Amino acid sequence: MARDKHKWRLACVLWLGMFPGVHGQADDGVLSILSWGGAYERAQQAALFAPYTNATGISIEVAQYDGGLEDLRRAVAEDEVPWDLIDMTRSEAMVACAEGLLQPLSPTLLAPAPDGTPPEQDFVPDAFGRCAITHSIFATVVAYRRDAFPGTRPDGIEDLFDQQRFPGPRALQRTPAVNLEWALLSYRVPHEELYGLLSTRRGLDLALERLDDLENIHWWEAGDTPPRLLSEGKVVMASGYNGRFFDAMVNRGVPIEILWDGQVQEHETWAIPRGAPHPETARDFLRFATTTERLADLARHIPYGPARRSAAVRVTTHPDSGVDMRLHIPTHPLNAERALTKDEAWYAQSLGRIQEYFQAWLEAREAQ
Amino acid sequence: MDSLPERIASGRGPLSVVRFLGLVLLGAIVGAVAALLAVAFVSAVLALNDLLLISPRSRMMFDHPGLLLAATIAVPALGGLVVGLLHLRIPERRPHTPADVIAAVQTRHGRLPARAGGLSALTALVSLGSGASVGQYGPLVHLGATLGSQVARLLRLGRSDDNITIACGVAAAIATAFNAPLAGIVFAHEVVLRHYALRAFAPVAAAALVGYVIATNVLDRGALFHVADTAVPLPWEFVAFLAIGGLGALVAGAYMHTILGVTRLAGSLPIAAPLRPALAGALLGLTALWIPDILGMGQETLRFATIAGAFGSAELLLVLVLKIAATGLCLGMGFSGGVFSPALVIGTLFGALCGSLVGQLSGAPQETFVFYAVCGMVAVTSPVIGAPLTSLLIVFELTGSYALTTAALASVTLASPIAAQLFGRSLFDIQLERRGLDLSAGRGRAVLRTTPVADYLSEDCVTLHPQTPVAEAVTTLCRARHGEGYLVDDQGRYRGCVSLADLEAARESASGPARVGEVATLARPVVQPDTSLWDAMAKLQDVTGEALPVVDPAAEDAFRGVVFESSITRAYLAHGDEMRREEHGTG
Repeated sequence: MARDKHKWRLACVLWLGMFPGVHGQADDGVLSILSWGGAYERAQQAALFAPYTNATGISIEVAQYDGGLEDLRRAVAEDEVPWDLIDMTRSEAMVACAEGLLQPLSPTLLAPAPDGTPPEQDFVPDAFGRCAITHSIFATVVAYRRDAFPGTRPDGIEDLFDQQRFPGPRALQRTPAVNLEWALLSYRVPHEELYGLLSTRRGLDLALERLDDLENIHWWEAGDTPPRLLSEGKVVMASGYNGRFFDAMVNRGVPIEILWDGQVQEHETWAIPRGAPHPETARDFLRFATTTERLADLARHIPYGPARRSAAVRVTTHPDSGVDMRLHIPTHPLNAERALTKDEAWYAQSLGRIQEYFQAWLEAREAQ
Repeated sequence: MDSLPERIASGRGPLSVVRFLGLVLLGAIVGAVAALLAVAFVSAVLALNDLLLISPRSRMMFDHPGLLLAATIAVPALGGLVVGLLHLRIPERRPHTPADVIAAVQTRHGRLPARAGGLSALTALVSLGSGASVGQYGPLVHLGATLGSQVARLLRLGRSDDNITIACGVAAAIATAFNAPLAGIVFAHEVVLRHYALRAFAPVAAAALVGYVIATNVLDRGALFHVADTAVPLPWEFVAFLAIGGLGALVAGAYMHTILGVTRLAGSLPIAAPLRPALAGALLGLTALWIPDILGMGQETLRFATIAGAFGSAELLLVLVLKIAATGLCLGMGFSGGVFSPALVIGTLFGALCGSLVGQLSGAPQETFVFYAVCGMVAVTSPVIGAPLTSLLIVFELTGSYALTTAALASVTLASPIAAQLFGRSLFDIQLERRGLDLSAGRGRAVLRTTPVADYLSEDCVTLHPQTPVAEAVTTLCRARHGEGYLVDDQGRYRGCVSLADLEAARESASGPARVGEVATLARPVVQPDTSLWDAMAKLQDVTGEALPVVDPAAEDAFRGVVFESSITRAYLAHGDEMRREEHGTG
């Protein structure tokens, strides 16, 4: 991740250097967007960025990041925000909004559905935050190599922790989020109570105990790592974003399968940082990128659930492979049967403490 | 008075079918309102717990350790103060509980008062919301019952129908809270009505069904237990389940007697009654800083107790003992709330303790751990509420697991009778007995014991002054067609009872007494206005005569009138008849 970060930081510096007087100017024909890179960015490029440039003549510069708010905090503090729009997870948007790093957004800037349905009724519940608007719903899921477990295959999230039946190394994200949820779900606690239980010392201990039982964990940070580890055969099961796994599976033919049980759904949002150079253009793009047509098109390129109902029913096939995308989006009823929605309010308030606790455990584990 | 066959015949026919269907519909309506009230109550408790930093989730999300510490002590203490002050506005100075519902139904007396019911629900809400170690199902049951009783009052229904609407409210509350309609129906019969009548069954079932439908559509909550599908206990484990039942009865006894003991002690504390719950709250908060599991209803603790390895054995024992102490403290010192939810936690902790001990001894893998937890749970809860079938059905409806229900059956088989022998039918019955209502011999006796003879008082009797000449007395009695006269002096005090036969004998004998006061009186037991029908009946066993004189010791033995033997017998039969119709009638 460190290398990736440097890469985009360098890109930003170069880019800022090229336009020394860019700060504070509006409508100079460029929009800077901070997004996640990889297959995700390629899909956005095809479904959102290129069509927007075609329609308006405004070119789009894209910088990549792996989440996290440190750079945004620093940029806002130094009053040198290079981005007009940030593609962020809702939990980070909530934190950033509470810290005053983002501009308030009103749902009134959104377009109605083609049949005239107003956005309030068309978007999924809780899509409108104070400073962020949900455009897609993605999931963190477990994927496994199809050839790793002859004669059997994992069918529940508890199988992630069962190295006797499903032997082999795992790759997990180096964060408490999702890992703690799955670890506690493997004790078969009901979804509704999960975050209440994780709020107790006992629940955290139980979850970490489960994680501790895993031998040979590869910790990943950048979203493209888990599909790579799987395709290289370095791990047999890995957590990761469903879009990345789909990309590896369909576009690159990696022999993996997604385990939808226990998928953790998250909202991906658009947010405009405080001090963005081109806030008006950013709002215009936001309206464009959240129309039914664009959202449906985005879901054809990367299997994220569109935040609009009118878009979800319009999702068709993958443009290159012809795969029916509806079966690959996390919100499809078949996939969403035992889905967990990440409690982002909980994370927004307590991530620091959870992180500390997780970090201490991680250091103790690695010291062994 | 109608003869019995006539009355039974009047219970059939098209009109009574319509009337009965109306009662079923009324049950459904009561059920719907009770269910909505229950949903609102449960949601309000959850919201308060989040707001007041009681729920683990809100505590985790709160980022000021110092304030959190202060709130942990201050919230239950202040909650206790509010509860204590509110209880001053209830005539009995205590919250009403399911015991009051049982008393009202079993004695067929007294509706459930709206004001005390509403205030009790409010104080229970405050207690639960501020983290007191009390249960929520008791208040829900009482709330539903009060609603049912008020509806019956509004529609001017008779006693039997009143009891049915009360049972409807109760069944709907349980069906909603547990998402278990069968448990709701059985609970209403097993604990409240204590008889099974088709006439009551249909309205109660309708209420429970409506409650269940509302619960599944509005309340979104996880089931209480989850079981791995593959695990089936080994045959020898059923012996362990039986043993857990036996031991669980003792745990239930300890729990009930802690509550009763603290209640007794609290009465003798030199602290004003409204301050007692505040003190209990402060103590609870202080202990919760060390062991947070005892705070509130303990849903998280309950869940963890069903997971093998979440607690160590010593920890299980510690939390178990502290939870019993905390609940005894809260309920004994005057918090308002139920006894069931804490019993669930205590029982599950106890079962988990047994499970982990068995695991350690046998070295077997702990796949059946949840069976032990559930067995412990039913072993403790069913004696406390006096409802073995309800406990079993709750397990069955929540888990859908036949294996688990069978294991629970093994446990409850010993738990209920042992606890009933040692302690009493339920905590409610023990509490009622201490208030002077003994339900151990069933409703028949309870009804007769709570009906005072004063209801059957008659002044149609001959009173004689002791100075009355015997001849005059004989004439008076003959004219009044009575065989007995009652001597009453100038101050209106009762002086004895004389028979016409004795007066005649005195008149005939030349040397006999000239005044009534000198004639030998009959050995005739007297009753007081508040003497129960049951005791009057007992006194009649040794009497051959017309009536029992009623004497009021509160007014210097003033003579109030008589109760005729025939009216006591008639009342006895009428009560029996009424109950028979209620319990065995169909329409």
